[in-house]
Order: sequence, then structure tokens, then C-alpha cells
Amino acid sequence: MKALLTTSVGSFPKPEYLSRARTKSSRGDLSKEALRELEEKATAEWIQFQEDIGIDILVDGEQYRGDMATYFAENIEGTEISGLVRSYGNRYYKKPIITDELRLRGPISVDWFKFAQAHTDRPVKGMITGPYTMMDWSFDEYYGSRADACLAFAKLLHEEARALEAAGAKVVQVDEPALSTRFDELPLLVKAVGIVTKGLQANTVLHTCYGNYNDIFAYFNKLPVDQLDLEMSNSGLDLLDRFKREPLKKEIAFGVIDVHSHVIEPEALIRERIEKALTIFSPTQLFIDPDCGLKTRSLEEAQAKLRNMVAATRAVRTAHGWT
Amino acid sequence: MVHTTVVGSYPRIGDTPEEQILRRGIARLDKGEIDEAALKSLEREVVQAVLREQNEAGIEVVTDGQISWYDSQSHLAGKLASVEINGLARYFDTNTYYRQPVVRGPVSWKAPILLDEWTFAQSHSKSPVKAVLTGPVTLASLALDKHYHSKKALALDLAAAVAEEVDALVRAGATQVQIDEPILTRHPEDLALVAETLERIRARKGKSDLILFTYFGDVARILPDLIDAPADLVGLDLVQGAGTWSALAKHGSEKPLILGLIDARNTKEEESAGVAKKVQELGGSIDLKASYLSPSNGLEFLPRDRARRKLRILRTVADEVGVAG
Repeated sequence: MKALLTTSVGSFPKPEYLSRARTKSSRGDLSKEALRELEEKATAEWIQFQEDIGIDILVDGEQYRGDMATYFAENIEGTEISGLVRSYGNRYYKKPIITDELRLRGPISVDWFKFAQAHTDRPVKGMITGPYTMMDWSFDEYYGSRADACLAFAKLLHEEARALEAAGAKVVQVDEPALSTRFDELPLLVKAVGIVTKGLQANTVLHTCYGNYNDIFAYFNKLPVDQLDLEMSNSGLDLLDRFKREPLKKEIAFGVIDVHSHVIEPEALIRERIEKALTIFSPTQLFIDPDCGLKTRSLEEAQAKLRNMVAATRAVRTAHGWT
Repeated sequence: MVHTTVVGSYPRIGDTPEEQILRRGIARLDKGEIDEAALKSLEREVVQAVLREQNEAGIEVVTDGQISWYDSQSHLAGKLASVEINGLARYFDTNTYYRQPVVRGPVSWKAPILLDEWTFAQSHSKSPVKAVLTGPVTLASLALDKHYHSKKALALDLAAAVAEEVDALVRAGATQVQIDEPILTRHPEDLALVAETLERIRARKGKSDLILFTYFGDVARILPDLIDAPADLVGLDLVQGAGTWSALAKHGSEKPLILGLIDARNTKEEESAGVAKKVQELGGSIDLKASYLSPSNGLEFLPRDRARRKLRILRTVADEVGVAG
């Protein structure tokens, strides 16, 4: 039985050599080709690491991305990139500025998907920053309407999803961390994600995090995807009771690792979290992953957290006789 | 001529290496390469730069930019008795996050929280520095209450704590004290509670002007009662709360206002003449000479260079309102 498949949300920390190279490149001291070579090296290393520890569904680790929204915006006509804006603590990011009608130049993430998939026989997720998040995280100097900007992104990102599928992606994940931003706009989000996933044969996933899930709970079953990927550890597994009362009719990737803590969760704690999840979800419905992308952790922290996550999952499988 | 002010936060880093000393400093602190005292000194360098930028833009009442605040909730609440700080939660409809305060017992004020920061800023500013505090009802609403199980009871104890802080700031010389209650744009029914907490704060405000500011949405439905709240000035977000414009034109205000009309959440630049005209149209309904123009909320949601440009637009609008008036 395929029980408790393990996966990751998307980003992994960049090794020191790549961080240094990116700084050099931004100063103009390193060619794009030389940077790309190092990005490929880091991606291959992360694919190898995931294989070595036994993760089932892989990610490319986003070693080539600065930020999830600006990476997509940089490859879409009609946008500029802003200066730095704070997100929390000492974390800053650049935001897209929509200055003209949005147009796709060509596939955005397909080359990297192909590169990563060529390094492993296990499935690698295709990763798309969702249309609602692209809109919400952009400054808009052109559309003047959040709905118009969101739906314009959705049409372009549908093309990207189709291109990923054509390139062999068996899983396409739409990242919507902004999902819980404005409850009155949830119908817009459902419509926009529906445009992106329409007609896809791949298993579709929607990832979100750090929101007030209780207020958006009623929308979980309406989201036009096969699987929800939720941050659960940071919010103290508060949602489980609600899921008990109102069952989820989709697969769930259940975050068991707090990505904003330096603490390496011990295997026993992760096992406990998985067992709690198993009181609500079936082992084939339940996927195990970190709360969110691990890029804010050090390389050593991220790897230690992932190792414990996989070990804990294996232990639970064994205890239940699902090996 | 109408006055100018800001709401509170200001971008703490920019895109040049000189504008990134705080970001690098925090990273070095995390690695153990510098200590807290060295970081404090970097924060203060940034506060001085932020004061200078507001001054150069011609803003009359400034703030310290809340440069040392981790976020609008934990910076204050985290220093009160019986409050712990938990994981990240989204801050209203922004793409920013705050560490959620968790209330474990009776909340009380222990020692001044903002006093050193305010005193430093005022001693380095030619203009009056407004002291800005998150309001008790917003603090109570965004915290995780494991003790009171009553928003009102928690908010009233938080009000007592905020009042202590206000007392300390006013004794040190603060002439304007602003209480931010953005929660009113989401829960207008909390206005009575906000008024009750403001009564307690007002008792400790001395001769300072007490300001109630709401942002991140509109307050059209409660505008007349909001203006009657026990504060000397009321600040309004007229961008995200565009609906408040028409309510304001209809009801007017005898109390001086702070009109938050420059969009502090989008880079699109306002056309100053058009904004000035709209302000002038309010001239018959409100006392413009005693009022202020401001951004719609704290400027930290914009990149630093855009924040500077927005301040200049604000100054231009105020000049145009003044010339025509």
C-alpha cells in the first residue's frame, strides 16, 4: 500500500557557493552562464539528497529563484521589479510592479523542471506561483482592479501548467500563500485557480500557509485541485478537530515541520504529529511534508529536519505494517 | 495651510548598500558577530536617516519609523506581564506577518517600552515626533487569549497598560500620541469598546493631543460615532477606505482629522492636483487648517525609494491645497 508518501513544499536553502555566486552575479561580476552552472549543480545535489534520504515526490528546490513571485514576474512582459519590502523579521523581498498588459514570453519554469526530472526516476513536482498570490504580491499600476489583474495572471499560468504537463510533470503544484488574505476574495481565488488547473491530467496540488484557516475552511473542498498542502505545525495542529467534524474530500499534504524554527524537531515529535493526523485522515489520503518551503533555514537545519521527517514517517509506516 | 504627518512605520532598508546596514546588522547578530548594543546603535543610525528623509520631504509631524519594532503587535504586547510570543500570523490583508502574542494570565505594564526610542528620535528631530502605539482593542483581537476568554476584559487590561506607556511618553515631552485601531475597519461593532479604552488612555494623556487612527479599510458606517470617540484628532484611511470619502463629505467633522489620502500600499503615484481638489471639496465640511494630510497607513509596505516619492507627493498636495485655499 502506498501510505504516507513524503514530499516537500518547494524551496530549499541555497548552498554557500550559490549564495556567493548570486551576490557576484547581481553585481555583474559573474556571467549568467557561470551562475546557471552553479544553480544546476545545487539542484542536482538537492535531487540526490532527496533520493538518498528516501523522499517519494521530489521538488527541484528552487535554487534558481530569488522570490517566488518575482521569479515568475521576471518572465512575464508588462512587469517591473520593485525595491525591497519587508515581509517579517529580517526577511525582505522584491515585488512585481504591473506596468502594462501581462503577456507570457514563453515557458517560465519548464526548463528547470526538465533538468530536475532528468536527474531522478521519482516524480518531481511542477511548481507554479498561483494567480491570486501573483496579483496580491504585486503592485498594480495598470489594471486598477484586483480581479482583472488576478484573472490576467491565471490565463498565463494555465499555459505554464500545460507546458509543465507536456514536459512530463505528473504533479503540478499551485502555490497560493496569499489565499487567506481577503476572505471576500475567496471566490476570485477559486475561479482563478480553476482557470490554471482546467483540463490538466496531472495530480494538482494547492499549497497555502500562515493564514486563519478556520475562516477559509468552508472553501477547502471547493478548491479546484486534487490535494491541499497545508502548514499545520506552526499553528499547533489546531485544525484537526475541524477536519474531524467536516471531512476533507481531497488528499492532504500535512506539514509536520516548522520551517521558521531553528529547532530540529525530534523524530518522536514528528511521529506524534503524524499519528494525530492519522486519527483524521486515511494513510493513502495523507502525505507528509514540511509546513512550507525550507529556504529560510540553513542548509544543515533543512537537511536535518527532512531526515527526521522521513525517518519518523518510516517508523509510523512500520508500526502500522504499511511497509 | 493644511498640515502634514505620517502614520507610523517607514521602510527600514533601501536598495543601496548604505541603506541596508540594519539588515546586515541583524544577520551579524544572528551569527554572533555583533552584540545587542551594536545592533541598537545601527537601529539608531537608521532612525536618524528616516527622520532626515521625512524632514527633507517637508513633513511637519514625523515618527521614528518604528524601526526597532519586530511588528506592530509583539513589540508592545511582548513586553507586558503574562504575555508570551508565539508563531507567525498574517497581519490583516497584507503580505506581512506578526509574531502572535499569547495571553497566559492577567496582563499588566512592567516598564516603559517605547520611551527610549521616542526620546532618542525627538532629540534628533527638528519636528515634533509623534508617539505611536497599537491600540488595546487591535492588540486584544490579534492575540491568542488563553486567560480572559473575553475580548473586552483583555482589551480593558491592555488599555491600562497602554495608558501607563502614554503617561511615560507624555511626561517625557510627547505632544502627540497616536493610538492605532485598524481592527475597526474589520469590526466596526468594536467602536464602543475602543471608546471605552480611549477614555482610560485619555485620563493619562496630559496636555498632549490624543489621536485615534484607523486604516486598512473603510469606516463609513460608523464615521459620526468614530469622530465622537474620546480623542482630539481622528485619522482615516481614505484609499483602501475610499467609501469613507463620501461619508465624510456628507457628515463633516468638527474635530480635526488626519486624512490618509496617499496610497501607502501601492507604488502608483497620485496626481497631486486631483487629490488636492478632492481635499478642497471637503473644505466646507471639515476644518482643514486644523487637520493633517498623511499616507493611508504606515509606509513600510512600499520600497524605500517609493516611500520617499510618496512623501514628496504628500507635500505637493498639501502645498496645492494651501495655495488654492
